[in-house]
Amino acid sequence: MRSLRAALRRLLHAILLGLVGAGIVHIIVLLLVPEFSERDAWSRLSLASDLYRMNRLDAEAGGAPVVKSVDPLFYATACRFDLEEGMVRIKAPGNVPFWSVSVYDRSGHNVYSFNDHTATGGKLDAVVLTPAQMIDVRKDLPEDLQGAIFVEAPIDEGIFVIRSFVPDESWKPIVSRFLDQSSCELQDF
Amino acid sequence: MLKNAFLMLISLAIAVGGGGASVWYALKIQDGVGAIRIGQWTAFPDIGTPAADPYSKARVAREGVLALGRAEGLSFVAENDAAGDQLKRECTYRIEGGFPTARFWTLYAADQSLGVVETGKSRLAALQSYEVLRQPDNSVIISVGHHPMPGNWLLTDGSGRMYFVLTFYDTPIASSTGLSDVSLPRIVKAGCDA
Repeated sequence: MRSLRAALRRLLHAILLGLVGAGIVHIIVLLLVPEFSERDAWSRLSLASDLYRMNRLDAEAGGAPVVKSVDPLFYATACRFDLEEGMVRIKAPGNVPFWSVSVYDRSGHNVYSFNDHTATGGKLDAVVLTPAQMIDVRKDLPEDLQGAIFVEAPIDEGIFVIRSFVPDESWKPIVSRFLDQSSCELQDF
Repeated sequence: MLKNAFLMLISLAIAVGGGGASVWYALKIQDGVGAIRIGQWTAFPDIGTPAADPYSKARVAREGVLALGRAEGLSFVAENDAAGDQLKRECTYRIEGGFPTARFWTLYAADQSLGVVETGKSRLAALQSYEVLRQPDNSVIISVGHHPMPGNWLLTDGSGRMYFVLTFYDTPIASSTGLSDVSLPRIVKAGCDA
């Protein structure tokens, strides 16, 4: 009898220890998921295209969308960049009803966003650069960068996303062209 | 000796299995930490920002989400109607009320993965604020269902669970101070196909 009770107590002890361990494992796994995820936006985009390549996120361009672009009334395009190689310049010509832009870091966190009301004359012309590169650029601002929006981001690898509103059927080709003609280039300085 | 090894095995199994399963479950459920509820609508203003909680961060990494930035807009998701019942694709609903200030908004019917409902027709299961008819007091009444309806009609199709996603673009409510006194439209069930 006594030995049975002792065994039960040890079993209970083991289960309690297991539950405490489960709590610790829960926290560790939760914090490690972003580190080791192979399904995050960056990994999905890198399977689809190279750095500095615009890549449509909506299904309109053919094939399944790379990263789920949620709103059905929006088209979107994205490019990956690496600020260690230099600053990156994003441009898109043309006028569309609404565009907005987001800069994400390597793990998909939104570090900066703006929309067409922020830009001069509604033209999308932006430069993403690190604070150190910004200091260099400030010293001597090149002529053709004067209208650009400077996005200072303390990141190295990142994703740039342009989203554009498609109010109805007739805007589809115009918005498509706006996104297809957008460029994402390493800027010499 | 053997008994000790057995007990240790039990502890380890509970720790690893329980820990892993609880993370998986926490990431699967829609309603998470950091949610803001207004009526039937839920928003995650912090998701996808560096200030997000660890659960949102893990969800972003696992699902490959690129969340809307503060200057872009804010999305609300509804999964229940005003009576508290789950939204069904075979039912008709009325979405009525005022909408907060924004440059424009879009509304669409979504499936479990929050992708737009496939209608099988050229009409999308989506509406936007430039094309809706308004009441004299600037509020909007939207009818949701399989069959055409007068006024504003949001087409749905199929059966099963449904979600409504309402996104405001270029809106002051996306900054957290604006969220306190926002009212969103009500979702009222009008009837169901048997």
